[in-house]
Amino acid sequence: MYSKVVHMALFKEEQIDHAAEAITRLRSLGIPDRDISVISGIPYSERILDRPMSWTRVGLIGLAGAVAGFIIALLFAFGTPFLYPLRVADMPIFFPIPTSIVVVFEITMLGLLISTFIGVFVETISPSYGPKGYHPKVSDGNIAVLFSGPMDLDEKFHSTFAELGATLEHDVEEEKLWL
Amino acid sequence: MAAEAKIFGKVQTAEQEHEDPTEQLMFDPRPREEMNRMVMEMMTTTTKKFWLFFFGLGGGVVVLLFGAWGYMISTGMWVTGLHRPIYWGVFIVTFVFWIGISHAGTFVSAILRVFKSEFRRPFTRAAELMTTFGLAAGALYPLIHLGRVWVFYFMVPYPNARWLWPNFRSPLVWDLLAITTYLLSSTIYLFLPLVPDLAMARDRTTGIRHMAYKILALGWRGTEAEWFRLKKAIQIFAFAIIPVMFSVHTIVSWDFAVSQVAGWHSTIFGPYFIVGAILSGVAAVVTILFVLRSTLKHMDYFLRPEHFDALGKLLLVFSFAWGYFFFNDYLLGWYGGEAAVRQLLTAHASGPAAWIWYTMLICNIGIPWLTLWNRKIRRTPWLMFIITLLINVGMYAERFTIIPLTLGHQRTPFDWGVYTPRPIELAIVLGTFCLFAFLYLVMSRLIPLVPVWEVQEGQVAHTLRKVGKAEIPTVTDLE
Amino acid sequence: MAEVSKEIAAKWGLVVDQDRCTGCNACVVACSMENNVPFGGEDNVAFGRGTYWIYNKRLWEGEYPEVAPAFQPVMCQQCGSAPCEPVCPTFASVHSEEEQINLMVYNRCIGTRYCANNCPYHARQFNWQDPDIPEPMNSYLNPDVTVRRRGVMEKCTFCVQRIVAGRQTAADENRPMADGDVTPACVAACPSGALVFGNLSDPNSRVSQMAANERQYKLMDELGTKPKVTYLKGGGRNGG
Repeated sequence: MYSKVVHMALFKEEQIDHAAEAITRLRSLGIPDRDISVISGIPYSERILDRPMSWTRVGLIGLAGAVAGFIIALLFAFGTPFLYPLRVADMPIFFPIPTSIVVVFEITMLGLLISTFIGVFVETISPSYGPKGYHPKVSDGNIAVLFSGPMDLDEKFHSTFAELGATLEHDVEEEKLWL
Repeated sequence: MAAEAKIFGKVQTAEQEHEDPTEQLMFDPRPREEMNRMVMEMMTTTTKKFWLFFFGLGGGVVVLLFGAWGYMISTGMWVTGLHRPIYWGVFIVTFVFWIGISHAGTFVSAILRVFKSEFRRPFTRAAELMTTFGLAAGALYPLIHLGRVWVFYFMVPYPNARWLWPNFRSPLVWDLLAITTYLLSSTIYLFLPLVPDLAMARDRTTGIRHMAYKILALGWRGTEAEWFRLKKAIQIFAFAIIPVMFSVHTIVSWDFAVSQVAGWHSTIFGPYFIVGAILSGVAAVVTILFVLRSTLKHMDYFLRPEHFDALGKLLLVFSFAWGYFFFNDYLLGWYGGEAAVRQLLTAHASGPAAWIWYTMLICNIGIPWLTLWNRKIRRTPWLMFIITLLINVGMYAERFTIIPLTLGHQRTPFDWGVYTPRPIELAIVLGTFCLFAFLYLVMSRLIPLVPVWEVQEGQVAHTLRKVGKAEIPTVTDLE
Repeated sequence: MAEVSKEIAAKWGLVVDQDRCTGCNACVVACSMENNVPFGGEDNVAFGRGTYWIYNKRLWEGEYPEVAPAFQPVMCQQCGSAPCEPVCPTFASVHSEEEQINLMVYNRCIGTRYCANNCPYHARQFNWQDPDIPEPMNSYLNPDVTVRRRGVMEKCTFCVQRIVAGRQTAADENRPMADGDVTPACVAACPSGALVFGNLSDPNSRVSQMAANERQYKLMDELGTKPKVTYLKGGGRNGG
């Protein structure tokens, strides 16, 4: 975990250009991208703020869940007749393919969707990188640029952000936002 | 102000559409703080009328649904009006009705999202809630209509002491799987875009509400990674839940279509039911939006005549589609099909219950085709409320025609019968309507009903651009 | 665990000679007594809630005053391709490989009534209420047959308890089953011999020979149900 002090610069919702400019200036001051994080009330594409693209494994987890669902469905549809064979009408007992398609589709989709959610959940509660910190004004639409940098650049930070019209908060406490 | 489009004569000029851009929600932005405050007030304001409905509907649920159903469980199915040969009555009719209503939410929040229809933004959550509660009400019916509901778990696939798995060839088991899948997925799909708004609510409440929102918001801050992950998950859900939605109502229609019952064994039932479900669902969305707009504080900022206009156009299109599928089914049965089917269609249209058939046609085709082409009617919320209520009456009549009326008029006249629902059945049906309304009422005060982040996202993306001499509204893709 | 029997299954079949049926309903009464079918009462039957496993379909032919009834006893046709079987979610309606009839498993039935809707002969009955069996009528109950409570389906089983008893008797006496070993209640009760039961896979049995009669037809066989009950068209005498 970072022992550096985390600063937060709050930009109003109309000031997206200023926020992007601020990030560029921070980079020119020597703060690497991994020491900056941006939090906002609506999603802004990383290209707008000139930030490295985020990544997530939710798609892969979803796919894994779909495969798991597919296998379970195959077991239900084709495995259970081997456990207890029962004849109904003159449908084939052991490989009822047309009716199995329905079961396979549904349980595959169930697997896909539930595992996607589990992926989101697990990724959300996992520890994340980058400066921590939060301010309730973010859910009111403000854009917050969180960064941590060496103390001697404090003056430069102040002047940069005052110029761009942001309010600067210091020592943003890491409030426990979840359990 | 705006000149009216006449039936014959002048063409509506382009200026009228954009005379006052701020009439449209996307061009009337307010500061996010103000919108948040409006939504929070909407959620926390409870008037006397609210409590009246709360206790009234709650009482309705307890007495009508639980009371009447409990009575039926304890004494037996003989209290219903069912008898040979009509073994399925209003319970199954209402089941199909609720599953149809539940397609509304997915249509609005998934299909419209995939097609990037911007007008969906303020009401996706209200529609998704309809899906969840419509399914909650509908999923009760496969239990309600069972003769031995206390052993319903025989249908659930799990390794058990009976060494027996359910029959995966039965459409009822497909129903169980499909409805479970759809219910779980649509609840999750309701939850995912709700998280940022729960975070907003977390920041603006205290006490128990604050604790609850804090837990549910999963520590949401709004980092880029969180947004990216959320958008990816929503995208996966939007694309995946559309085939699930189609499959659910197709499977419900196959409860009927796989049988040999004359009038049911039709290959067109799948798409026919889906289109009927979307018609019914979107109509119910409009009904609910009118109620929300009239009763919730500040809702008239978010829900405007433009939304009723857009949904009304969709309704007209789906009414045409429904008419097409209905005529397909009807014509081919009438033209040269089985004699029993021809007799059945004649009985539908001219028998003692023909008024139901005519209600269906008037409400599903007559009323929409006569009214929804008119822009002024579409932009009048209370008129849309009445029209959409009637559409749903028509859709209920359609299901009633398909189920009890068809079962009572099969191939052997010796076995014909007439079905009349009895009070207990009607009480239970009314009870599920009360349940739906009650759950919706309660939920409207527990979670923010408008997805404010999506509304703001849309407002940021909409601008007026000067092209030539005119200011043209444009939408950008913020991704 | 169930094992699918590999021995050649007996194909039980029934022939109904409509020329002989007088519409006396003795078969209905005998079936009800043999199989513990509850008596619903006049009101229930009028409402369509009678649970009789075999019913006599009376069809009127002709115009007044030359009106003549035709009687057609209808029971579960024990279809080879039964529409009631694939739709049951709990396998309460399954096909017996051994006896080649449709089995009704009361314990598994949860009462969805899908099978009843799907039967084109409307041969399946539902127990809408618990049976009312006042003393001393409970002493008339047949101990070989379950008494069903409300919520389950029931239907003609070709008196499967008698089939099993006949099979066991033949096994005890170390001989194969003979024609006439098994007689369902309705067949035994019919005074005019309109109902004939036996093994259709035995070409020498009485039922096989009667089923080959030129008057034979099957009910609604265009639906592809492959029923095991063959009807012989009446000649207009005795209500046939």
